[in-house]
Amino acid sequence: MEAALRIAQAGFHSVLVEKEAELGGTLRSLHSSFPRWQDPRELIDHQSERLAKSRRVTIRTQSAVTSSLPKEKGFRVSLTSLRNGDTEELDVDAVVLATGFEPMDVSVYGEYGYGIYPGVTTSLEFEGQLRKWALSTGDITTEIPQAVALIQCVGSRDRSKGNPYCSKICCMFTAKQAGLIMDLFPDARVYVFYMDYRAAGKQYEEFVRQVIEEKHVRYVRGRPAKVLPENGRLLVRAEDTLMGIPVEVAVDIVVLASALVPHPATRLLAEMFGARTDEYGFLEGEPHEPARTADRVFFAGGCGFAVESAAALDQGASAAANVIALFNEDR
Amino acid sequence: MPRERYRDHSGNLYAEVDAYHLVENLEQCLQCGKCSGICPVASLSPSYNPRQIINDVLSGCTSRWLGSEEIWRCFWCAGCYTLCPVDIHFPLLMMQLRYLSVASRHGLKYIAPFKRFALRAREDGLTFAPGSAKGRERIMGIRRTIGLTPWPEVSEKAREEYRALFDRTGTTEFLDGIREEEDHPLELAYLKGRITGD
Amino acid sequence: MTKPRVVRPEEKFLALPANVFLFRSCTGSLEYPGTENAVRETLANLGIQALMDPDQTCCSGYLLTCSAHKPEVSLAITARNLSIVERKDLDTYTFCNGCYGYLSELSHIMMHNPAYLKMANDLIEDWGYRFEGKTKIYHVQEMWYRLRKTIGEKVLRPLAGLKVGVHYGCHYLAKQYGILDDGGFPTFHEEIVEILGGTPVFYKERQLCCGYAVGRGFTHREEIVQPHLFKKLTSAREAGVELITTVCPGCNVALDREQPHLNKRYGAAFHIPVIDLSQLIALAMGVPLQKLGFDANTIPLAGVLKKLGL
Repeated sequence: MEAALRIAQAGFHSVLVEKEAELGGTLRSLHSSFPRWQDPRELIDHQSERLAKSRRVTIRTQSAVTSSLPKEKGFRVSLTSLRNGDTEELDVDAVVLATGFEPMDVSVYGEYGYGIYPGVTTSLEFEGQLRKWALSTGDITTEIPQAVALIQCVGSRDRSKGNPYCSKICCMFTAKQAGLIMDLFPDARVYVFYMDYRAAGKQYEEFVRQVIEEKHVRYVRGRPAKVLPENGRLLVRAEDTLMGIPVEVAVDIVVLASALVPHPATRLLAEMFGARTDEYGFLEGEPHEPARTADRVFFAGGCGFAVESAAALDQGASAAANVIALFNEDR
Repeated sequence: MPRERYRDHSGNLYAEVDAYHLVENLEQCLQCGKCSGICPVASLSPSYNPRQIINDVLSGCTSRWLGSEEIWRCFWCAGCYTLCPVDIHFPLLMMQLRYLSVASRHGLKYIAPFKRFALRAREDGLTFAPGSAKGRERIMGIRRTIGLTPWPEVSEKAREEYRALFDRTGTTEFLDGIREEEDHPLELAYLKGRITGD
Repeated sequence: MTKPRVVRPEEKFLALPANVFLFRSCTGSLEYPGTENAVRETLANLGIQALMDPDQTCCSGYLLTCSAHKPEVSLAITARNLSIVERKDLDTYTFCNGCYGYLSELSHIMMHNPAYLKMANDLIEDWGYRFEGKTKIYHVQEMWYRLRKTIGEKVLRPLAGLKVGVHYGCHYLAKQYGILDDGGFPTFHEEIVEILGGTPVFYKERQLCCGYAVGRGFTHREEIVQPHLFKKLTSAREAGVELITTVCPGCNVALDREQPHLNKRYGAAFHIPVIDLSQLIALAMGVPLQKLGFDANTIPLAGVLKKLGL
């Protein structure tokens, strides 16, 4: 959205192709944000308002680019409506890819019981639960958890079953979720099982310390070995590595911070436009031109690597700057 | 307790603890604790801790473990290896630490019981065949009842060659040389100064 | 994520063999010969002929991991045993997780370390052996799963809902790559139990090691192995398990033979019979009881057999 808006401000026209019915991507599913506890909907609303006012952005929701032919300075793309299958042909002079990321399928971690025990969920799914709790009017009488365990690095930093890389933002959004649980249920016990907590950003360390010190979330250093059911609850077996002692914690909900992987559409689109992807399927930038992935093709956001919303915004603007510069050169 | 001094391996880490080249990726260890979390022995006796052993080996403090009783507790269940996110084959490291321990005459009492089993297996081509006549009778009785040969068939050729392999590799010599009297005392090193409640 | 971890049984067995080499397990053939018989009978029932060879020796893995000898001799012994199978142009089928684990690991080491392969082959060449890594190593539990539908069709004595607590053991799932299930939460034995008409019980310590444990049963029996087994069996009993199945004679020894000692030490009154999964399958498929050798079991099968009307 940011890229389209900046390109429009510079006087050029763009078509915003979105496969869902609404704009916003993952941001739409989020409840609160770090490091300022702001509502992500405000950002979406802000962008949507600007888009509505702009006369140079055409929005095509529930649509997808299904093929592309390179032409002299640009591409001829086919846009297909996912509603009724209608296609239209468009001539474009540049492309910005912003297909985002999605959580990895963590059912490969049988030891955590995702898909086996009902209380085991993923961060993204849990975000929806938090919003439900936050928005419910009156008292929440059912399913109040007495204890919640949030497990970091499920699928990240794992060369054996998952992805070797660090998904960058999970330490932060897990801290956020942990803090939110305590806000909703002050009597609950919340444990975050981590290996290292990565809070490298402005106000990030303060955010995590606030969650630990003021919201009283317990951080346990140790990647859990197993989740087991017992008496209707879930036991998390891990080692508290700072103490060097194996521990077992009884909780009601286990939240798995799933690794963030590129959306499958990214690879298809990369092929269509001659863009390069790395071994994980993320788009690759070019040396000294991080926003450009192929001739006249730029990218921003989660499709390049896991990123927080503020940075995605920046990258959108950066992609736009590249497009604007390119178009000025063309003239 | 004085501060620990880390030794400088100067690139000899693996040569020291991995003479058989079976565990070449110790530095990939994230110290995540999944191994200790699942380890059945650690849950019963916290002074045994696979994660800490790897950390110590990397810091050059292997000798602490070579004289320890703890390394003889590992079950080789490979739960650690199964869960490890970087596939460190910890049991194969443990195997080699045990050999190093034996070489410095620690832990002999934990392999002495197997000396007689190994020497008998060398003769039988089979392991754990009972030494007593009564034991053998029992087995032969059951096998006959169910329609098998009274004793598992192991040919004379097999036994000769098995014996020869023990001799050729110096294993027979190694076994003969196990003398429990030479055992140096083992230490429960990690219990010193450590609060363990029961 | 590089090598495939879980593979489908059809991928493991591209074609069903008519003949297989059945690798003798020392503990299996001595402590629970009924298991050996059950394996042979079940393979025959499924149209597979099992060949054994008296020239095969112990896999030598157990004593290797007890640190009673060094890897060199076990590598050579493995090479020798497997070259016997290779001469017959067959694949190697084990019925012991231990044999499976050791043969797989040791042959893997030789296949990835030319120096070790050469050392092993040099030691056995004057007898005319040569190991090339051609024979594939399987455990019969994989074949049971592959042919579970056929097994199901041939069940003559369904298990009447018998509550079976499965014990996978460690060394099959520890292979991690190229096996039939993931060690995180395996279910393929439970599927077989269901097909036989039993009720699988997911007891809390289902995946705990048996504690037979490379000799710890000798060196640390009271200290660690007994408290450990106490945990496992308590968990099984609390969940109502009536029968425990294993796929390793070593596990069978630990779980079966230690119960009376635990009862004496802890006043526990454990009475859960432990048999091999192959014996359970053979039983369900109608193999005569006297061939299954339950007399070898410490905890008698009488209660379970009565429940099944046998």
